[in-house]
Amino acid sequence: MPKVTLINPDDSRIDLDVEVGDSIMRAATAAGIEGIVGDCGGGMSCATCHVVVLDDAYLAKTPEMSLTEDQMLDFTAMEREPNSRLSCQLVMSEEMDGMVVRVADPQL
Amino acid sequence: MSQAVMESDRNQAPVLDIDPYDTEVLRSPYAFQERLREAGPIALIPKYDVYAVGRYEECATVLKDHEAFTAKGGIGIQDIRQPGDFRVPNRMLENDPPGHTEIRSVLNRYLSPIAIRKMKEKFEERAAVLADELVEKGEVDGVADIAETYILDVFPDAVGIDLPRPNILAIGEMRFNQSGPQNELYEQAMQKAQPYLDWFEHSCQREGVRPESIAHALFEAEDRGEFPEAGLASNMTRSLVGGGADSTMAGVGHSLCKLAENPGQYDLIHADPKKAGLAFEEALRLEPSFHVSYRTTYGEVELSGVKLRPDTKVGVYFGAANRDPRKFENPDDFIIERRSAGTHLGFGIGAHICIGQMIARAEAAAILGALARRVKRIELAGEPVYKPINQMRMLQNLPLRLVAA
Repeated sequence: MPKVTLINPDDSRIDLDVEVGDSIMRAATAAGIEGIVGDCGGGMSCATCHVVVLDDAYLAKTPEMSLTEDQMLDFTAMEREPNSRLSCQLVMSEEMDGMVVRVADPQL
Repeated sequence: MSQAVMESDRNQAPVLDIDPYDTEVLRSPYAFQERLREAGPIALIPKYDVYAVGRYEECATVLKDHEAFTAKGGIGIQDIRQPGDFRVPNRMLENDPPGHTEIRSVLNRYLSPIAIRKMKEKFEERAAVLADELVEKGEVDGVADIAETYILDVFPDAVGIDLPRPNILAIGEMRFNQSGPQNELYEQAMQKAQPYLDWFEHSCQREGVRPESIAHALFEAEDRGEFPEAGLASNMTRSLVGGGADSTMAGVGHSLCKLAENPGQYDLIHADPKKAGLAFEEALRLEPSFHVSYRTTYGEVELSGVKLRPDTKVGVYFGAANRDPRKFENPDDFIIERRSAGTHLGFGIGAHICIGQMIARAEAAAILGALARRVKRIELAGEPVYKPINQMRMLQNLPLRLVAA
């Protein structure tokens, strides 16, 4: 199963298995990772699953950003960065195996 | 209707001879929901000559595929493009992308997580005050004393419109019966709402809007020319009042009812009140506030191999989808750790997914959390009674006994 690495606000790292077709948000909340809140369950309504993709090459392999995601990223609790994404929209593919993301802080 | 059309329906979509708006079905929809799911991927309801879907997959497809299933025909059983329907259309909801999206993205700015985070503190303050009073009383009605009292306390400030209880309840009952067939419920609700029509007509105008509210922000946005057309601030305020009051009151009522019926699940939120939101989500899965919402076939389309007639209404039955065993394990059980947010269809799905869902969640989590902190057990003090409304699923009475912690 492909993996992503999450870097928490305290710099600890978590390797997370994410099934192809599942979102990083779903896998992270199912695993009880506190930094990913995901209140709305993936409806692009809460902006509480904010992550920053560290490597541009990986960013290019992620699903394309929709207009709604782009707009919601303007409303995150931590100000957006150039590589910001909502992890509910990062649906896993084999290509994304090995991707590293930083968990935004705060989320709420 | 020609014989040929009937033949093709008989061959394609199975016919389900049942009235989804029958008072008994509205009071207890589960048997209907199961028959609908098991009839096939889509069925024809001959009484109204409309289609109905009740399986999760097909419900989600109809709501998401706006090219095959347009919202422009309206979310009720009537086609609002035909003459004779006098309802004021909702210019965002009863519309498709891209026109819909242009309006929605303006609204998103003023209903954003940032705007809602600011409301949360007030929601929690007011919930604490009410919860203290409720515990003091001990025996309360979950609908009148909790759901209605709380939502009608906090929501008017958030949306910016005065919502006197008799007015908003009568108007809500009218609007959500009006979107169904012209049956007895419809006629009665229209009559009951007569004294309040004038109030409703004027309530969503600029005058009298409360400061620092969503409506206030929308009228200011209109002044700055942010909306693509004129009159949208008032039309959208009207839809927020309609979409944000009744459905949230219904959801809070269902949550209390399920928690009273499932003491083991209540123990979980009493032990950790942060989980109150999970209870709301799971209650919305089992009892979504809306019984049905419609789309209309755009041309001749196919759904799961069934060929459908053009320009025909398709009713999406949320409760049926949310209890579909193809999607949810033990679908009739109330299990808050299921974490079905974003999967259940209680807030809809697709372009029209509930725009106020984060307000509803914040309100529900505040009042349920405040009770969870103070109350050891919630017991039913009588039978819950459901209120038949054509488009909604809502409790009328919920006698409860709150046992202080």
